[in-house]
Amino acid sequence: MAKTYDYLFKLLLIGDSGVGKTSILFRFSEDAFNISFISTIGIDFKIRTIDLDGKKVKLQIWDTAGQERFRTITTAYYRGSMGIMLVYDVTNEKSFENIKNWIRNIEENASADVEKMILGNKCDLEAKRQVSKERGEQLAVEYQIKFIETSAKDSLNVESAFYTLARDIKAKMEKKQEASNPAGARSGAHQIRANEQQRKPTSWLSRCSLL
Amino acid sequence: MSEVENKVVPVESEEKDYVEDGKNKLIVKCKFCGSKILDKKSAKYITLEKELPLMQQDNNRKEGEIQNESVNEFYHVENMYTFENIGFTHTVANCKYLSCADCDAGPVGYYDMETKHSYVAISRIVHA
Ligand SMILES: Nc1nc2c(ncn2[C@@H]2O[C@H](COP(=O)(O)OP(=O)(O)OP(=O)(O)O)[C@@H](O)[C@H]2O)c(=O)[nH]1
Ligand SMILES: [Mg+2]
Ligand SMILES: [Zn+2]
Repeated sequence: MAKTYDYLFKLLLIGDSGVGKTSILFRFSEDAFNISFISTIGIDFKIRTIDLDGKKVKLQIWDTAGQERFRTITTAYYRGSMGIMLVYDVTNEKSFENIKNWIRNIEENASADVEKMILGNKCDLEAKRQVSKERGEQLAVEYQIKFIETSAKDSLNVESAFYTLARDIKAKMEKKQEASNPAGARSGAHQIRANEQQRKPTSWLSRCSLL
Repeated sequence: MSEVENKVVPVESEEKDYVEDGKNKLIVKCKFCGSKILDKKSAKYITLEKELPLMQQDNNRKEGEIQNESVNEFYHVENMYTFENIGFTHTVANCKYLSCADCDAGPVGYYDMETKHSYVAISRIVHA
């Protein structure tokens, strides 16, 4: 059967236990009436279809098990993933410090060109905050990784974070394709313009507000 | 031998107004939030008997008990990337349950770990 999409990106959620990886994948819902069965078993991964500059992109987003520590995560774990969301909890200093360890682990075990993004989750809990937004931004600059604060609880910035990561993976892939096939490549200026253009928000992206 | 009269006659897929050429004629959406699960004409209509946990479990049920019902009309999806938006649960007894990617309602079907095929329960979705 013909492929009905342009790109398939496998993404991974990584970070200390309790930072909110599962909550980011699983939508918070007050309606206990229909989610109870699914929530007791838990979601392994989701498939999402998004439109990026006219291309149909499938995202396969994987949660990772809570007990996993960076010390035990090896190559097999990252196999096939093209994007990694590094999640810490803004109310938990230790989870922020561990981002460096997670990055080191990724560098040692994942494919060298895996796209990364840092998420400072639980930004709705302002009173309990231990890590300022500025420190998150500094870390991101240090590693040259994009950063955004999220709240899985309020579904704030979650969708736009995935959109941003997917966009960066796509841009990287197209750059590679262009490098290997310069004759067939379109004008670079055109692509940059297309990338900057904000797409009409979909239902999944309705509350997007990128920093 | 009048029992023959009571025998359930399998309904021909051609009679279903949501089936065309053996496939889903319409877009498949979540009953609760309208999230798009399958594009039109992307999955095969099939009938098979499968016990699925109810989407709305009775809150007064015994602890640990799971209420099932028998479902017999499905859309058969051979490649999981055919889905527009869908969630896969962790594995239970060689199968994963399918849930809405937007509101997490489910199970809306199941995924067979052996064949790697997915089955969407038609009674648990809406067409659009
Ligand atoms: N206030 C608030 N609470 C959150 C947020 N995200 C997650 N939580 C809560 O934080 C706790 C841990 O969230 P999980 O999603 O289970 O964390 P996890 O990263 O999956 O943890 P492990 O599976 O152990 O690795 C839960 O009680 C969530 O309800 C958020 O954005 N805001
Ligand atoms: Mg978890
Ligand atoms: Zn839904």
